[in-house]
Amino acid sequence: MQTLIYGMLGLPFVFALIAISGFFSNRALHILNRIIATIVGGIFVEMLMQISPGEVFNSEYFYLDALSIWVLLIVIVLYVASAWVSKSYLVREHKMGYLSRTPKLIGRYYALYHMFVLTMMLVLLLKNLGLMWVGIEATTLISALLVSFKFTRSALEATWKYIMVCTVGICLALLGTMILYYAQLTATGTEKALSWLWLSQHGDLLNPSLTKLAFLFIFIGYGTKVGLAPMHTWLPDAYSEAPSLISGLLSGALCTCSLYVLIRNLIIVIPTIGTAFIMDLFFVFAFLTIAIAVPFVVVQRDIKRLLAYSSMENIGIMIVGLGIFSSISVGATLLHMFNHALIKFVLFYIAGTVIQEYQTKNMMRIHGMVQEAPHTATFLLMGMFAILGMPPFGLFFSKFNIIFSLFKNGQYLLGSLMIFLLAGILIGILYHVMRMLCGRAKRKAYADLLDHTDTPFLAVLLIGSIALGMGLERIPYLNSLLLEASQIVVGGVHL
Amino acid sequence: MEQLVMVLLFVAFLQNRIMDLRKAVACLCLQSAIIAGACLISGLANGNGLHSVLPGLLTILVKVCLIPYALFRLVGKLTDERELVADINTNYSTALSAFFLMLSYVLVDKMLPGIGDRDIMASSMGLILIGLVLIVMRSRAIMQIIGLMTMENGIYLLGLAMTEGLPTVIELGIFFDVLVAVLVLVILTNRLNVSFMTTDTNVLRRLKG
Repeated sequence: MQTLIYGMLGLPFVFALIAISGFFSNRALHILNRIIATIVGGIFVEMLMQISPGEVFNSEYFYLDALSIWVLLIVIVLYVASAWVSKSYLVREHKMGYLSRTPKLIGRYYALYHMFVLTMMLVLLLKNLGLMWVGIEATTLISALLVSFKFTRSALEATWKYIMVCTVGICLALLGTMILYYAQLTATGTEKALSWLWLSQHGDLLNPSLTKLAFLFIFIGYGTKVGLAPMHTWLPDAYSEAPSLISGLLSGALCTCSLYVLIRNLIIVIPTIGTAFIMDLFFVFAFLTIAIAVPFVVVQRDIKRLLAYSSMENIGIMIVGLGIFSSISVGATLLHMFNHALIKFVLFYIAGTVIQEYQTKNMMRIHGMVQEAPHTATFLLMGMFAILGMPPFGLFFSKFNIIFSLFKNGQYLLGSLMIFLLAGILIGILYHVMRMLCGRAKRKAYADLLDHTDTPFLAVLLIGSIALGMGLERIPYLNSLLLEASQIVVGGVHL
Repeated sequence: MEQLVMVLLFVAFLQNRIMDLRKAVACLCLQSAIIAGACLISGLANGNGLHSVLPGLLTILVKVCLIPYALFRLVGKLTDERELVADINTNYSTALSAFFLMLSYVLVDKMLPGIGDRDIMASSMGLILIGLVLIVMRSRAIMQIIGLMTMENGIYLLGLAMTEGLPTVIELGIFFDVLVAVLVLVILTNRLNVSFMTTDTNVLRRLKG
């Protein structure tokens, strides 16, 4: 197991060094990139073989249980998918854009991209809360370089905001982690400093007021990274200015990783500070996030910013699910994380293709996609249906379960408010999508750029989302993994 | 230790008054040196060999040598070396910093009553808030980096006072992150200078809605 973990972390690192060195041609890099990602995927499958859903792997620095495997699965699926489609994306960008100006840019892109995924996997494998913080900060720094990859004026602006807001937020999380360590010191001594397993087993020994203070800082800190309002100001800028593939990873994988660290901290503090406080805290921020997203979706003109605000809405839903803290809602939240990651990655990729086809981000200038670019239009429509939570896509089931548990919990007012807000998002997004798809084309598209090199992967991700929603009971492994993971969150760890 | 904290607060307030970029970086360097001193003193007092002085030595290496060096080089490339906000801004930020220092004393007394190092805790909390004030009130990119570092120093000092330092592995990770963060910010500032012909962050206002 230890060797597998080292292999998983070592391979992308080696490839990053190869890619930055510049000895290889772009062709070789495209091929190697796919090979490396597939091997890492294979290593992960081998890991799944060795560890059944109920088991844990525990060593000095690494810790794997159902929860981390679930999130790791999300990251790896996106990693493999993005590695396989990145060639067609980069080739198209190269033909018409900034990539052709300087020769070594593709190597730099691959190096940063693999390092980015590497840091995310590292966060998920680590056992120590302090080291998780280090990993999350490292993801911010590397992804900042990816967000600014085009080095245009607006990309620089987005990156500056991203790095300033996120680093300040993450610093607050460090403060919270230090206070948590202080609470641990006063309760149980220096033994196993900040080890997640130790803290989750001895959570009830911690001083309640100190723990509450620590969790407030941690929540604000990682909440900034997840993109909760009112600390979300970096999010639409960063998502819209990053290369589209990276936007998909930022929204699908990075957000999920930050949320994962937040959940890990949540598990520790729940026994001491109780669910009532958590519910209030989470609901305030979550509903604020969803409510802020609605008007921006309705009046949006930039297609990637539209998707960014839709990400905020989904983050809000996940935080609501965590706040309710019943086993149904937490399971639905974890499912929502997976589905949202799959669909958002597809959508950002499609948005990138639309931008390449029409050479504009402005949705008001795109019409008649059904006639001009039928493949792209089909995928865009399906992706949008999926993200809005229509059956048979998986997001329907997770959203339904979260709203259902709100009502079951007796929160009728909040449940109705949530349905009302989601309806607003639905109207806003459908209005924009239908405008883009229908009508007479006023601006000539270059061509339908989706072809056989990337459509299969997008289709697989969409079908995966359907399978995760409708057929989850028929995939025994995933089903038990999800049950175990939500059990870890709700029930804590008893070893 | 008490004297060190007094000097530290003096330096932090001085940071509010300096408008020249070079002097501001020197001031940050001095501030980090004081933190390193505090770290070494507390490490030697605990006294178990290399492990206890390592964070202090690392602070000297990373925050007193490498980071100021990178920032000085950056300032050397810029053509105008002064902060652009109006001079009255210094008065506001100093007043705000003083207010936040008082606030942090109140916070420490309320939240952690009867803790040993009350002055150190309060001043490190004050340092964090002063860093935030600098980030919000200053418009030059380098000044914001300095604010971020001030904040980081404050958190570090708070951790030192509360827990006598985190485990070594985590400390190493944090130092590495801080170093990389400053490197990335220096690269970005360089790019800002190339693309916008200025490092004034007030020009960054195109992305909205």
